[in-house]
Amino acid sequence: MPSPKVAVLFGFGINCDHETAAVFDLVGGNAERVHVNHFISGQRTLEEFQILAVPGGFSFGDHLGSGRLMGNRMRFALRDQLHAFVAAGKPIIGICNGFQVLVKTGLLPGPNGPLPDFEQRASLTLNDSGRYEDRWVTLEFDPESPCIWTKGMTRMDCPVRHGEGKFVMPSTTDFDALDADHQLTVRYVDPTTTPGEGITDAPLPFPLSPNGSMRNIAGVCDSTGLVFGLMPHPEAVYAKWLHPDHTRNTAPGPQHSDTLGEWEGEGLQMFRNAVEYAKANL
Amino acid sequence: MAITRVEVTPKQGPGMRDVRGDVVRRQLAADHNITVHQVRSIVGFLIKSEIESDAIEARVNDLFADPIIEDGATNHLLLSSKNHFPDTPSCVVTVGFKAGVTDNPGTAALDGFRTIFPDAGTASISTYITYAFYGLSDEVEVQWLANTLHNNLIQRALVADHTACTNENWPAIEYTEKPPQTFEAPLHIDMEIPDEELIELSESGLLALNLEEMQTIQAHYRDEQVRAARTEAGIVANAPTDVELECLAQTWSEHCKHKIFASKIHHIDTETGEEATIDSIFKTHIMKPTHDMQKEVDWLLSVFHDNSGVIAWDDEWSVCMKAETHNSPSALDPYGGAMTGIVGVNRDILGTGLGARPIANTDVFCFGPPNWEGDLPDNLFHPSRVLRGVHAGVRVGGNESGIPTVNGAIVFDDRYIGKPLVYCGTVGIMPRHLPDGRESHIKTPVAGDIVYMVGGRVGYDGIHGATFSSLELTEESPSSAVQIGDPITQKKMIDMVLEARDLGLITCITDNGAGGLSSSIGEMAEYTNGCEIDLAKVPLKQAGLSAWEILVSESQERMTIAIKAEDQPEFDALAALHEVEATPVATFTDSGVFHVKYEDTTVAYLPIEFLHDGVPQLQLESEWKAPTLPAFIPPTDANHSDLLLSMLARPNIASKETWVRQYDHEVIAQTAIKPFVGVERDGPGDAGVIAPIHGNPHGLVISCGIAPRYSDIDAGAMAAASIDEAVRNAVCAGVDVDKIAGLDNFCWPDSIESVKTPDGKFKLAQLVRANRELERVCRAYRLPCVSGKDSMKNDYGTGEKKISIPPTLLFSLFGDQPDVRFTATSDLKHAGDKLYLVGQSHEELGASEIAFMLKESGIAAGIGGTPPQLAHPEQNLSTYRALSTAIQNGIVQTAHDCSEGGVGVAVAEMCIGGRIGATVDLDGTGHESLWARLWGESLGRFIVAVKPEREDEFVQWMSGHSITMLGEAVDEPTLTINDGFEHVVTADVHAMVESWQGALDMTGGVE
Repeated sequence: MPSPKVAVLFGFGINCDHETAAVFDLVGGNAERVHVNHFISGQRTLEEFQILAVPGGFSFGDHLGSGRLMGNRMRFALRDQLHAFVAAGKPIIGICNGFQVLVKTGLLPGPNGPLPDFEQRASLTLNDSGRYEDRWVTLEFDPESPCIWTKGMTRMDCPVRHGEGKFVMPSTTDFDALDADHQLTVRYVDPTTTPGEGITDAPLPFPLSPNGSMRNIAGVCDSTGLVFGLMPHPEAVYAKWLHPDHTRNTAPGPQHSDTLGEWEGEGLQMFRNAVEYAKANL
Repeated sequence: MAITRVEVTPKQGPGMRDVRGDVVRRQLAADHNITVHQVRSIVGFLIKSEIESDAIEARVNDLFADPIIEDGATNHLLLSSKNHFPDTPSCVVTVGFKAGVTDNPGTAALDGFRTIFPDAGTASISTYITYAFYGLSDEVEVQWLANTLHNNLIQRALVADHTACTNENWPAIEYTEKPPQTFEAPLHIDMEIPDEELIELSESGLLALNLEEMQTIQAHYRDEQVRAARTEAGIVANAPTDVELECLAQTWSEHCKHKIFASKIHHIDTETGEEATIDSIFKTHIMKPTHDMQKEVDWLLSVFHDNSGVIAWDDEWSVCMKAETHNSPSALDPYGGAMTGIVGVNRDILGTGLGARPIANTDVFCFGPPNWEGDLPDNLFHPSRVLRGVHAGVRVGGNESGIPTVNGAIVFDDRYIGKPLVYCGTVGIMPRHLPDGRESHIKTPVAGDIVYMVGGRVGYDGIHGATFSSLELTEESPSSAVQIGDPITQKKMIDMVLEARDLGLITCITDNGAGGLSSSIGEMAEYTNGCEIDLAKVPLKQAGLSAWEILVSESQERMTIAIKAEDQPEFDALAALHEVEATPVATFTDSGVFHVKYEDTTVAYLPIEFLHDGVPQLQLESEWKAPTLPAFIPPTDANHSDLLLSMLARPNIASKETWVRQYDHEVIAQTAIKPFVGVERDGPGDAGVIAPIHGNPHGLVISCGIAPRYSDIDAGAMAAASIDEAVRNAVCAGVDVDKIAGLDNFCWPDSIESVKTPDGKFKLAQLVRANRELERVCRAYRLPCVSGKDSMKNDYGTGEKKISIPPTLLFSLFGDQPDVRFTATSDLKHAGDKLYLVGQSHEELGASEIAFMLKESGIAAGIGGTPPQLAHPEQNLSTYRALSTAIQNGIVQTAHDCSEGGVGVAVAEMCIGGRIGATVDLDGTGHESLWARLWGESLGRFIVAVKPEREDEFVQWMSGHSITMLGEAVDEPTLTINDGFEHVVTADVHAMVESWQGALDMTGGVE
């Protein structure tokens, strides 16, 4: 099976494109940074790729709400290509600003069915603190989530770097429905809890929850589990030397990997999951 | 065209918040002690377009309002909607930009508008924000409130007081067009006038040229050969055009030509009797040492002449760094001034060689005390407002550009009220060779290459920035010198330029900063010895700019790029893909002339040589006499435990975490040592360490040193201390001390003796001493300065009202770090780890932080005394090499540099980072004075901790160097400091955390 081709979007203020491409390459993907306008103009098509990543950044300066203007470009100009990509069962990830973009295009959390309808159902709004912050948080994953990106992952430390990461939906029933389908894939948790038991619906205090997100949501997937978005930056912990505790010899992560030996960070598995999925299924 | 108003406000309801309003409410509490029950916000858009309001209204939820969290309204004010605003506010303030000022949300909204209405044609959008205050005391005047929320240089505000609110008389900002400029045909400036009038001409035109310079220009136009050539070129023969005079003023400005550093100085030292002539401080003390070092190493690729200094990092990559200041603009508009500072220095990196990628920022600020309660001179902002504005500008500029801020500092002193210092630095990386084989640090233009202006357009903003910053700040300082950056336009341009570089399209590139096209094309034209520009081709923000304005405007986000004529189609296509405006405006020639046309008319015709080398050398007087200051005499009895908690809360020492955490320091996924370290990730980091090549742990250290307090006694000591601090910080991270490079950024008060500056000789002598020390220390440390900058007019006002900053050198350092898996941080790791002092403490309490603190509290009479000295720098270097290699070999994982507050503060900070205690004995660490050993700031010192099992190895590794056992880390959260049998300090770690973190947390908390 050749390396799955990964389209990493860039342009208009996306700024995590280099590292997002790099982490896919590290786990056996074949990543290419592609300018959004290449897809819009038709010079390139999403069809060439097996995986799509919308990286973090400040597309259009987050003016009019984070991810809004990029979301609109995708919603109006890439609608058919995105629809076909999802219909073909190909994985999509949005990280930070990319998550905001996917939420505002309506791909996340998406309808209760396999095909996208590009209706916005949720939003990511200003942190309760009122501040953009870069800080490390602890995440825990719903083990029953259909999300193909988070398979086998339990808990990880990860940096958040955003000013608009508070996940909101109009009503509690919306959350209950997503929760029932295990689409609330990843939450902020208190690191002192036992791994596997950290997830709670009651809002955690700042800074355990960095933004006041409803139900401590850090990321959600669509009903197929193929489209996934999260505010924290797993690509920023691809190696243990990027973890703040590495100088204390306590950075968590696998004991050994073929990729970085004993220095693989916890975030890399998420990208490996998608590459392995694409190899097996596409 | 119709104007449509759209307003948007956050929905109310469970879990929903109006965060913008909350931020204003908390800041009023934090900065002014004003409580207000609630603040609500409304964002407004004024859309001028052919699209009917009904059509816009139908799409409000697709663009302006997020239907999940916001409500929108079209063509009516939300305040008048009882549905949305049922209660009557105490008052309302609405703030919009003045016409013509960069409105980034408006630009973005217009882009989104075109996505939805592709046929919108010529449309424009301006934005505003409205705050409604509830439960605000009547005593707070609404106009005062408005003034705290806007800057009238660039913004306008309308208000409604309580009566107006009760009458539903709501303030409404209307769409305003900037009145069109009128194009003026180039004037001929008569220079055949008496000397007084030459000076008057310079002053009234904001040219910032002195009499001799004006006379040099006068003489140029008297030269018969010049006149003949001009006649042939069809331009006025015997007088400059306004275009030429402006162009010369920009190019010859202190800002661009560094005339003081280039001057011939007659220096007298009244203490030693020395009398000397220094023919250019820059050439003598900065350039020469670096060039000497360049002969001995193979990694100094490009020094001084380009936009930043470049060093080889490994066989494939080189790295470069540049730092600049943006002081005057930041004083007038802290937000816009600082933002243009950071995005401007990013462009210096992009304009290095054939284009480098910015990968890390550094920000160092000097402000007045944030809690200042004294008088403020006219036209100056309160330091807390300057801090907030500058911080926000740098935060937005750096974060939105996707460049991590990895290192920095904030320094406080009363005198920075007069002029805040805003240093912004950027590190870049580029491949050593491009795919076409060219070395990327060398520009390769030839005559015939086409010169493009790329990025933003030229506007009336930013005219006279270079000459303005070469003058002191006054109450009449011009608002056109202020502008706001647009990071997204620049980010698009950076993406495009780096692709163009890799495609081999670029032959020459530089940024448009001070002096605009006049400087950028003018400097690049030196490579081929000539250029021809057509100003009529330059795209403008608004029509009607005159030729000279187009040439010197410093409008942001522009690069000047030369390419081969045959590459134009490929370059144009790339620009279109990235939606970046790129316009050919000039051609390189070898005519020897800087030739500027407007359409077919020649408007400037200046010999390249005269333009660049014609400025006469200044002749300056310098005289050193040591200042006499009351000595710092420590009190005979003191409670050092209390002093420690007070010291930790000093603004110069206290944690800046709430500010620094708002910078993205981890984008690019490379930051291995972050600004804050330790178990709670809130202990102080000494240096930033990045591993920029993904998957590869090869590192780069970025650090800085700044110590302006010592200038009160001796600016030479200040310079030495700054350099040593930068090196020590880098050593803590395990830098390779044999591959470090530095940047010298001087900020000085005016040093030319005149009526305005009667003490100019002394201030110049301070500069001489600082540079002599710079040379001595850099030579000893084999630390080449590869780039630098100076800002020489950091004064406010004149006469008795004059405020001059303390002479300040920021020394930035970047160096090789072999493997980021082996570094050290300041936080104590484990109880039982052994603490050592590396280096010796001397009796050097002059101008120390403890001296300043005790003087301010009235306990000590003065701060005078011996400041820290660097007597044997060669010896220091050898110790630094030993410690750094110990870190690289994993023997030491904990190291912290001793600077402000000495050993006492350093150990306390290590406990804070580790959240454990330590027991320390200062006996045998140096001078007999306990004050010197506990609080003194002697250079060359570190505190390190080693695991007990590696202690022997460490001691052996450091043999031949001064190390003293201090004690050990302990489980109990208490710091105990003894001096032999004498007990000196007991401090609870949590109390220390509170003191250290509470002082500068101006956030008002998080609810």
